[in-house]
Amino acid sequence: MSTIFDFQGAPGTGWSQPEPINSVSDAIPKRLRRRNLPDWPRASEPELVRHYTGLSQKTFGIDTGFYPLGSCTMKHNPRVNERIVQMPGIDRIHPLQESSQVQGLLSIYYEMQEMLSICSGMDAVTLQPVAGAQGEFTAIRCIQEYHRSNGESHRDKVIVPDSAHGTNPASASMCGYQIVEIPSAKDGRLDIEALKSAVGPDTAAMMVTNPSTLGLFETNISEASRIVHESGGQMYYDGANFNAIIGKTDPGRMGFDAVHYNLHKTFSQPHGGGGPGSGPIGVKNHLSDFLPTPVASRRELVEGDPTGVGDGFWYFWESIGERSIGKVQQWNGNAGAVVRAWAFYRRYGRELERMSEYAVLNSNYLRHRIMNPEPDVAARIHCMPAEGAEAELVMHEFTLSLSPVKEMNGVTGKDVAKRLLDYGYMSPTLYFPQIVPECLMIEPTETESKEVLDKFAADFHEILSEDPEIVSSAPHTTPVKRVDEVWAARNLILRHPGTASKD
Amino acid sequence: MVDQIPNLGRESEMLEELGLSSMDELFANIPEEVRRDDPLPLPPPQSEEQILEDARRLLGENMHLDSRPSFISAGLARNFVPTMVPMMATRGEFLTSYTPYQPEVSQGMLQAMWEFQTMVSELVGLPISNVSMYDASTSAAEAITCAVRVKSKKASQPTSAYISELVPPHRLSVIENYTQGVGIDLHVLPHKEDGTIDLESAKSAAGSCAVYVEQPNALGLLDEGLLDLREAIGESTALIVGVDAVSLGVVEPPGSWGADIVVGEGQPFGIGPTAGGPIYGLFACSKEFLRMMPGRIVGQSIDSEGQTAYTLTLSTREQHIRRHRATSNICSNETLIALMGAMHMALLGPEGLEKLAMRIYSSTSTTLEAVTSITGVELVNPSACFFREFAIRIPGSAREALGSMDSAGVLGGLDLGNWWSGMSDCILIGCDEGTSEADISALADALGKWVAGASR
Repeated sequence: MSTIFDFQGAPGTGWSQPEPINSVSDAIPKRLRRRNLPDWPRASEPELVRHYTGLSQKTFGIDTGFYPLGSCTMKHNPRVNERIVQMPGIDRIHPLQESSQVQGLLSIYYEMQEMLSICSGMDAVTLQPVAGAQGEFTAIRCIQEYHRSNGESHRDKVIVPDSAHGTNPASASMCGYQIVEIPSAKDGRLDIEALKSAVGPDTAAMMVTNPSTLGLFETNISEASRIVHESGGQMYYDGANFNAIIGKTDPGRMGFDAVHYNLHKTFSQPHGGGGPGSGPIGVKNHLSDFLPTPVASRRELVEGDPTGVGDGFWYFWESIGERSIGKVQQWNGNAGAVVRAWAFYRRYGRELERMSEYAVLNSNYLRHRIMNPEPDVAARIHCMPAEGAEAELVMHEFTLSLSPVKEMNGVTGKDVAKRLLDYGYMSPTLYFPQIVPECLMIEPTETESKEVLDKFAADFHEILSEDPEIVSSAPHTTPVKRVDEVWAARNLILRHPGTASKD
Repeated sequence: MVDQIPNLGRESEMLEELGLSSMDELFANIPEEVRRDDPLPLPPPQSEEQILEDARRLLGENMHLDSRPSFISAGLARNFVPTMVPMMATRGEFLTSYTPYQPEVSQGMLQAMWEFQTMVSELVGLPISNVSMYDASTSAAEAITCAVRVKSKKASQPTSAYISELVPPHRLSVIENYTQGVGIDLHVLPHKEDGTIDLESAKSAAGSCAVYVEQPNALGLLDEGLLDLREAIGESTALIVGVDAVSLGVVEPPGSWGADIVVGEGQPFGIGPTAGGPIYGLFACSKEFLRMMPGRIVGQSIDSEGQTAYTLTLSTREQHIRRHRATSNICSNETLIALMGAMHMALLGPEGLEKLAMRIYSSTSTTLEAVTSITGVELVNPSACFFREFAIRIPGSAREALGSMDSAGVLGGLDLGNWWSGMSDCILIGCDEGTSEADISALADALGKWVAGASR
């Protein structure tokens, strides 16, 4: 297979640059001077454009087809957002420029902070964390400093349900906390009795995703908040599933003290191949002194001020003060992601709740279509999957267990996931949450049409009707066949071997 | 009226199939006591045309770096990004993909990241690279926690790491946040009066878990002494070096003078300064650290028919498998920006990289000469060698001088008093491949005028 290292044109001919402005003598001390240049490819633009076009064609994105990757909210990324971030007023800005030079950017930051506060019922928001996991880490750090400031450093445990994302225990652990994992109740929801026996004078916080990773709204969330607060702990809301509830409820009403948002999920910031993300956090007043610094702020214009952006306010970076945890990213977060998310939010404005309504509608509709095949289709299906959780209604996503299928003919969740690739779909999230055996977690988002959902359900039924051998050996039509992950881990070929450093 | 929702206006037939009669019924599981009944107090939805108009107006208010002579860097580069880079990286398949959990339909992005790993490995002189961290600061912070995991068992100072005192304070703050919870004590590694590392003091770091230094340091100084740091700290302590990635076109890569982990800001390759993000952190290491390192890694493999394929590997280090025992909490990273970086590096090629580095070295030297020929302006570290940045001391307040230069239409640099209170009469001046003779004259004129005025 060809790689970029096959391009070996004549040295220095690939792409031209102006000469140095001054032919200064190279006064770099000899010992410091690089002796062997890196063995990079020698390629020209025409070759590279074709190389990367070829690679893009072997990459599946939302633009390629339905991407029901549960928990990741893979919704359409509006293209105007990409056009906006190419403007020099964001692309060619340095984060240390004076406030007077970035009034427009600051006003967008301020608007986003306000919007996220309103939608979440929080009092203060920072846009600095650059990914959901970093948002979790930042919020837990704020909670940690809050407890320390109250003389309660002995609180060293964070409670996490067993259905939580792996980032939750990992983030709390990085802050130095011990993790107390509590099992889910039979119906997949929070087990209040288990929570009661887990809380105590050593509880620092509880981290909850609501709706949970099973797509279920935690109906007893207020009671859970009360129990944790009575023990002196703080409630942390993982905003991975925020797309399900905007305008319908908010973490503030549920009793949470801190929350992170995923602008790359809920607000459509594209994160090709795995990132960039953006993971702002919101907190209640009692935690706001501990936020990372600075945040965007504003005051009314006074006489003699420049006009600003024309809304009567002067915007500035406000430092949080001595109790701040400091910095989690060296600048002010992923500003480009914030601007894209702002453009996305402006599309909905006060009607953001439409987004959640249609996401939840699509999820319930697809679940219904999958679980209720027409009689003639049902007759062909070898075995139906089970619900990941029994519930009349789900929120923006749902889980299926392929356990019954596996028991009947050996076809696993992974087999079905791989077979879906042959039908032109990205696979749902596989084997998560871990509490559902042979789990497929499906999140259609609001940007899919009824036709796509109908077709997906029909194709899903088709797979369940196929010769199990075909399903187990899938995929068959993809650029490569099933990839051997064990081989990769055993051989660890982590770079091109032919270009080994000459040093 | 909102758009982007294909089923808008077609909800009744879907609801009917579910046996429901209103959208509200979908949310019946949300208990009354936490329900929101009033509409969100936000402005009405906008069309694409209106959003674009507002974006043009607001972002147009910002004064961008290319609109005037600009000499601010401080860890980011006012770089030139080849047009091909954003055009190719924003092809829909790349742009709208996500973590390649299904390698069979993600071979393109996986191969591009494996090529990226190889180019980073070549650049810094170490065998292993991940597919990116958030930025240079989180790379440095997680390099230290990684080194502690690897080294603490056999270290004579099992909870200690030593950090150069010439690390920018915002980076130090990130490092403190990432290390405070896991029982690591940070110690300061002093520099001498001339800005170079104090090798004698560095010996006290021997037996600790990690030493973190930067080349060039926060004041742009290339320090030959770092090449002797390995000898000073001994073999058992991890040497972590933060780099200006472009400088490695002319500066010996740390991998060849004993570094175990090299980190740095990837941004100069691939994307503009973008008001501080999205950018990406480089993270490369030697084999000893492989199983304790943070971030995603792509490995070559084979498919069921034996043909070459790529896949994420060593995932058992990661949070979605290892949960609280993971080597890091990182999940979403900066892959799309790293992809832009790979494209930029490939277009440069080895000689292009060297030339780019020489252009920056040249503009740095030329600017330095022009600025220090002004009477009253001194280099903070005289007779040193600089890349991209250097610090000057002026007769008066840096803040006032920069304000005066701003009025003259020049963004003159960073007031170092913002970083270290004792340096409020110092300016950090940053140069790049776009710095022109005219820019330098404008800077020298504006600074010269202010100095003349100040000393009158």
